[in-house]
Amino acid sequence: MRRLRLTPLRLAALILVAAFASTGVAYAASLGLSTAKLHAWSQTLAKGTCSLTSTAADDTYVQQANPNSALGGTDTSLTVGGAAGAQDYAFIRFDLGSCNLPTTGGADSALLSLTVTSKSNDTISLYPVYAGWSSSTLTWNGLGLLTVGPTATTSFVPSSPGLVNITVTADVDAAIKAGTLWGWELRDTSGTATSAVGSVENNAAGKRPSLAVNYEK
Amino acid sequence: MQRLVNIVGLVLVLALLSTGIAAAASLGMSSGGLSAGSAVVAGCTSSSLTTTRNVDNSGNVTQVNVLSVPQACAGETLAVTLENNLNASLGSASTTVGACTGGCAVGITGFGTVSAATVNAYAISLTQ
Repeated sequence: MRRLRLTPLRLAALILVAAFASTGVAYAASLGLSTAKLHAWSQTLAKGTCSLTSTAADDTYVQQANPNSALGGTDTSLTVGGAAGAQDYAFIRFDLGSCNLPTTGGADSALLSLTVTSKSNDTISLYPVYAGWSSSTLTWNGLGLLTVGPTATTSFVPSSPGLVNITVTADVDAAIKAGTLWGWELRDTSGTATSAVGSVENNAAGKRPSLAVNYEK
Repeated sequence: MQRLVNIVGLVLVLALLSTGIAAAASLGMSSGGLSAGSAVVAGCTSSSLTTTRNVDNSGNVTQVNVLSVPQACAGETLAVTLENNLNASLGSASTTVGACTGGCAVGITGFGTVSAATVNAYAISLTQ
């Protein structure tokens, strides 16, 4: 075999090879990336809406004056009162099951609609509930067994009869991720008056609670 | 024989040149930012990990959570871009994956004010 000599032409070719190779590798390096260090992916979201009516709801109210009474059976309104020693708390929750949302989903927005049937100028605050309850068993004396968030999510003033829409996005979003929406405790946080909202047993369907959720999954 | 050597040299030039360019192109990227879709997979994970987000009561994104990040990814930079339906960026943030046992749920904050309703996709990357 003939020995390969380094002629000027071959030297030039060698330099050219090195230059071109360096250019390509430098281009890759300039991206600040290398194939050994990168993993990139994307996740596309599906958007949808879910409207829950009273058929997917449960509600009740408890009275300090009747501490062992479960009042959620047939009453057409849920009372909320702030009088010392005679407070009323209302509870409302919805079953998100029909929305078919995975726990990796979330709420883009959520609106709770209630109808004020007895007005007051007191503030009604909504506290998220984090444990199971049933309208058939919940009593004032049973509240100690219930886990309720320490901070109100939102509030409204039932100053006139009729529909009120309350934004509850953060609570519904958290409930989707937790797998269950245990709803809210409605508490008078500003006065001593008593007001009321329509319950799931209200004769007028339009006065019953409902929940509209815009979601992603 | 001389001609053969020259031809081999030319082929070598083209091969090396292609290798360098291919290295850049195979990343599916440009210097302007990440392209859509997946890139070459190597490193601590090859999975497309599930991502969720939290919102405040106004519906704005407060945190993005990347679930089940392998322990081997500790120390890597996890970056997330929120995209609208045109794949335009609505906000980006990143964090360093911490050490944890098993799969980590890594939370990322600092996207600014972005309405969750406008977010249609997450673009995520892990780099060292």
